[in-house]
Amino acid sequence: MEKTLKAIEEMTRLGIIRAYAIGGGIAATYYIEPVLTYDLGVFFIPVKPGLDELAPIYEFARGRGYVEQAEALIIEGFPVQFIPVFNDLVREAVVNAATLTYRGVEGKVVKAEYLVAIALQTGRTKDRERAARLLDSESVDRTELAKILERHGLVDRLNQLEGEPGEE
Amino acid sequence: MKSNSAEAVFKKKRDRRRQLAKLPFEKKIEIVLELQKVAAEIRKDPARRIRPK
Repeated sequence: MEKTLKAIEEMTRLGIIRAYAIGGGIAATYYIEPVLTYDLGVFFIPVKPGLDELAPIYEFARGRGYVEQAEALIIEGFPVQFIPVFNDLVREAVVNAATLTYRGVEGKVVKAEYLVAIALQTGRTKDRERAARLLDSESVDRTELAKILERHGLVDRLNQLEGEPGEE
Repeated sequence: MKSNSAEAVFKKKRDRRRQLAKLPFEKKIEIVLELQKVAAEIRKDPARRIRPK
């Protein structure tokens, strides 16, 4: 995965994407116990917002010989799913990303507080479960989370989740 | 209804998750890759089919 991270970092350096942050299961795994996931979910801010924000990424990928598989690109052997930021919360999460290191290679990762907020906003069962796991871990700064949830109108979602019976 | 035995099991599971959370990221990714292999094996297993075709 280190070569994959390098390639994504290179996309930022070359101006193919403006900024990115790893989200989804791999980001969750960074903060909590390992979770089963099949790809590296990458939120990105496009250089030029428009109709086909993925086009420059796919052009770069073709030039490198990376192939497409379903909704992912296989970058250095690892499936990567690029998702353009689709609302203010996700954009903010990318802008405020943390830095991780994997085998000496640095990459950007969504902070735990934003992962919780995005999971609460998305609201699927698996997202709510992930939010609960993150909240149960020591990785979430509750003060920071409260500010994010307040800004994005998600306080009720957290109250609802925490009012539910604990998971086993 | 509360069961002390069940509570003890849940506590152990929580503790185990917290231990796993402290592993180095590199090790966690190794575990994710192992989980993928296990999941792929389960998917291949015909005995897993729960509904006749």
